[in-house]
Amino acid sequence: MSETTIITTENLNLWYGENNAVVDVSMQIPDRRVTALIGPSGCGKSTLIRCFNRMNDLVSSCRISGRIEFHGNNIYAKDADPVEIRRKIGMVFQKPNPFPKSVYENVAYGPRIHGIKDKKRLDEIVERSLRSAALWDEVRGRMDESALGLSGGQQQRLCIARTLAVEPEVILMDEPCSALDPIATAKIEKLIDSLKQQYTVIIVTHNMQQAARVSDKTGFMYLGKLIEFGPTSQIFEHPQEDLTENYITGRFG
Amino acid sequence: MAESSRRFTYAILGLAAVLIIAVLAAGCTQQPGDGQKTTLKVTGSTTVLPIAQAAADAYMDDHPMTDIQVAGGGSSVGVQSVGEGTADIGMSSRELKAEEKTRYPDLQSTVVASDGIAIIVNKANTVSGLTLVQLRGIYNGTITNWKAVGGPDQVIVVVGRDSASGTREFFWESVMKKENFTATQLEKNSNGAIRQTIVQTPGAIGYVGLGYIDAEVRAVPIMVNGTPVDATVATVLSGKYPISRPLLMITQGPPSGVAKSYLDFILSPAGQKIVTGEGFVPVA
Amino acid sequence: MSDRQAVRRSRSEIGVRVVWFLCALFAVITIFFIFAFLFYDAYPIFEEIGVWNFLSGSVWNPTGFPPAYGIYSLIVATLLATFLAMAIAIPLGIGSAIYIAELAPYRVKAWVKPAVELLAGIPSVVFGFFGLVVLTTWIRVSFDVPTGETWLAGSILLAIMALPTIISVAEDAISSAPREYKEGSLALGATHWQTISRVLTPAALSGITAAIILGIGRAAGETMAVLMVTGNAPVIPDPIWDVLSPIRTLTGTLGIEMGEVPVGSTHYHALFGVAVVLLVITLIINFSATIILNRIKRQQAPPASTGIPRRFPLTGWMERQGIFFRAHRTPILWGLMAVVLFAFFGLTGLGIALVLYLAVRYIPGRISPRWAQRIAFSLAALCIVVVLLALGIILYDILTKGLPYISWEFLTEPPSNLGRSGGILPAIVGTMYLVMGSIAIALPIGIGAAIYLTEYTSEGRLVGIIRTATDLLNGTPSIVFGLFGFAFLVIYLSFGVSLIAGQITLALMVLPTIIRTTEEALKTVPVPVREGSLALGASKWQTIRRVVLPPSVPGILTGTILSIGRVAGETAPILFTAVVFSTRFLPSSLFEPVMALPYHLYILATNVPNATGQQYATAVVLLGIVIAFYAIAIVIRHRSSVKYRW
Repeated sequence: MSETTIITTENLNLWYGENNAVVDVSMQIPDRRVTALIGPSGCGKSTLIRCFNRMNDLVSSCRISGRIEFHGNNIYAKDADPVEIRRKIGMVFQKPNPFPKSVYENVAYGPRIHGIKDKKRLDEIVERSLRSAALWDEVRGRMDESALGLSGGQQQRLCIARTLAVEPEVILMDEPCSALDPIATAKIEKLIDSLKQQYTVIIVTHNMQQAARVSDKTGFMYLGKLIEFGPTSQIFEHPQEDLTENYITGRFG
Repeated sequence: MAESSRRFTYAILGLAAVLIIAVLAAGCTQQPGDGQKTTLKVTGSTTVLPIAQAAADAYMDDHPMTDIQVAGGGSSVGVQSVGEGTADIGMSSRELKAEEKTRYPDLQSTVVASDGIAIIVNKANTVSGLTLVQLRGIYNGTITNWKAVGGPDQVIVVVGRDSASGTREFFWESVMKKENFTATQLEKNSNGAIRQTIVQTPGAIGYVGLGYIDAEVRAVPIMVNGTPVDATVATVLSGKYPISRPLLMITQGPPSGVAKSYLDFILSPAGQKIVTGEGFVPVA
Repeated sequence: MSDRQAVRRSRSEIGVRVVWFLCALFAVITIFFIFAFLFYDAYPIFEEIGVWNFLSGSVWNPTGFPPAYGIYSLIVATLLATFLAMAIAIPLGIGSAIYIAELAPYRVKAWVKPAVELLAGIPSVVFGFFGLVVLTTWIRVSFDVPTGETWLAGSILLAIMALPTIISVAEDAISSAPREYKEGSLALGATHWQTISRVLTPAALSGITAAIILGIGRAAGETMAVLMVTGNAPVIPDPIWDVLSPIRTLTGTLGIEMGEVPVGSTHYHALFGVAVVLLVITLIINFSATIILNRIKRQQAPPASTGIPRRFPLTGWMERQGIFFRAHRTPILWGLMAVVLFAFFGLTGLGIALVLYLAVRYIPGRISPRWAQRIAFSLAALCIVVVLLALGIILYDILTKGLPYISWEFLTEPPSNLGRSGGILPAIVGTMYLVMGSIAIALPIGIGAAIYLTEYTSEGRLVGIIRTATDLLNGTPSIVFGLFGFAFLVIYLSFGVSLIAGQITLALMVLPTIIRTTEEALKTVPVPVREGSLALGASKWQTIRRVVLPPSVPGILTGTILSIGRVAGETAPILFTAVVFSTRFLPSSLFEPVMALPYHLYILATNVPNATGQQYATAVVLLGIVIAFYAIAIVIRHRSSVKYRW
């Protein structure tokens, strides 16, 4: 399986005010693979992926230097459109955040705002996305009920379905299972495995074992710096940096 | 942080306390000091009110221990207040009604002045005069444009008083002959308000007591047998002006005490001078 | 602690609890009394001419021959005035709320929010005065009509007065929509405007609906402003959409006739009938508000677990209708609008409906989201500009014409020559007395009630009743308070027109505000803090007194100061209960009448010719006092919100 790069970061630095939260990070994210970012709390991994879809724009004290390229184009260029970028690079959040609307409307939201009005097409997209998120069988009888009535695991899969409905190329996942029970977590991990056929997945996780289970490439971050980045088996079995090894073996964290 | 916030709160409260004390202190200097203060409550017609107020001012200058409190409300309220005892003197710009006489049999009226009801229009209105019949037609809604009565081509805006007004009641009996007013009549709650509307509205017509005519409005003469009669103190006194009525101050029984002193003052030459000063007709 | 101490402690605990309970019950008792007294005095007219004739009679001519007491035209006028006012205020209000909540840069927001709140503080008599002098003239000249005293003038003023309520509450609702919704929507590639219009605003729907309903209540209950500018002719506009026709609302009727009617006459009873109808309308508005809000909350929240029995027998049927309606809502709403436009404008109306339908259907599809966002943002900014412009015009007009007449003499002398010269000192002092007295009455009762509601109970039937009563009290028009004060305090208890009657009436009026703001302040103290105190062995009352109340003081203070502003500026409640046209001396007892600033302005504006300067100067003083109170409240609130970050 040949690997092409879809996202590249070059000397990326981010400041919240005076605080340098991401320090000089350079990495290459492979296309159609699952890449995991691990590291102790506060190491900057969530901040980093929020740069990829420019969600950090919402924080007024945030400043960025360096480049992030998506398909070779700098996403922070002056003429870059964050709205377009977010359509192509989607995000699933730590705490499931379905809208206070029906299940159907949650998934249809994305296509609707991108101009699709035809009811049949919307129905099609909704069903397809829910199937891809392994949620269709569980919700098909209650499409018009409020999404807030679903269980935590179902809500998170709904958020994934919602993201899939806009047909992105990359899916960012910010600790998607940290609010879920083990059974729901297992379902989501299975889902991630099936998603990588079509999408690039970048997952931030606290849970090293999860990273080992689902990802192809792993990056270890500490205090804002990218300490090591490589194939998952290598990071976990033969880490090159002492710091990495100390974290993996549990000497700190 | 807590300290500065608490200090701030104290500062505000302190400032408030100082302000309140200052105001109360200022107020105290107005009191007549120790000693009995007598109060006289005068309530009722807003037509009579300027007379009552001006007379009260002059009276209180001479009698600093008296507080005369003047309130409006309309002739009906004036009668009822003095009848029920909530006021010492009731002002009215119309005679007592039959029901009122039965309900409060002890009421006694003192005529303190006469008043003509002047018909006023906007200064720009050129109409030369109105007969009583035309006036009635305007107020019951049959005549709607000024050109029908010799004025400019303009819609007539009919302005009148509210229902408790003695002025309105008198107008209704003597001019309207108890016919209904037009429903689109704008209602105002005082002579002053009517006058104000006339000043602001080119097509308006209204009725006010004589004392409310001034340079900003135009009083329309009433045509009596073809001759225009202006509303002036003289024509009311002579009886030529057809719409006039006595202004009354009513007491429970014959006036006594401070009320008598006050009424005597109004009926005295000094008092009647105040009456004419306010634009009313003195008692003959 | 010894047993004796413990017994003493528990006895005083019970005592304290009883006291607060009585305070909480006070609102219920008051509402009951208001209903009772109004009904008692209204009953004779219902008996004499029958309820149906009273409601549907189209002629109101109480002093005619024969007298007619039909309030149909008054009811229609109230509905029309409120409807047009809402048509103006709702779009402007929601647009402004969206602007402030989502679009305004931080620095702009910092002064726009207080500016809008200041608009809320301007007394209604000042609005009426401005309307009378400036607005009606503008209407007369611009539309070339004989007089500007019209339905339109009334509705414009009502809209301006309802706007601050709508804007504050809606803005609060939109700002409180959970951040996750906003992030979720943006992460899907939605534009900011799409996020606002499709996610945030629907999520805030219950708050926005509450804002609208509060606005409706404000507009329907306003007295002074409408009575000064609508002409007070009890007619139904013909044709019905003629906004330039004069009208007379229910509140205007009470305002203009109540003070002048002989007590005990048929006319008197008829006016109380009008007050009862007003109160019933308020009830209906409140009731529908609760129903609508509950529906919205239920729609958005997760469905409740089954097994909870339904209370109302028709709910199942209503649910099915609701589902049918929701599924077909677009054609139904369009159909409804077409019918309404047809009823008002005939075939032209249908044409307008068709054009609107085509426009809404086809144009938005042609516009890119980017352009749609630009247009929407500009419109939202335009809304807030219009609102601030209205505020600016009113302030400018009053300040420029009034400031020149303010002098030391004006502030310290009593009036003479019917108010045309001299000063307004007795009015200033009278207002101060009214404020101090009413707050002294309302504050302890209100705080006690709030303490009971938040600390001593959980939601139950009795608390529900207390809350309903407080809500009703809150929505009651100020003129109805005035009438109640007159019937109960002035006449029945024989206080006469007096300071104390005014103070009690005003206290009743601001009681709900104090209860609500105190409740909010108490609720912000987190449960863990209370639990910490109780875990140390403190009694409930000790906990409240030492741990819960102190940090709540700024919030309570804010509510107090807002109430002071309201009391200082209200005319209707004191119109028949406390004021007199002129008195040279200050009241020496509570049972004497007083002068007051808002009433003085009202009298000068409507009764006294050639006093324009004094009118404006009085307005400036009144405005100054009220704005000063509001400014202090805003500052305190700002400082305390910075201080207490739990």
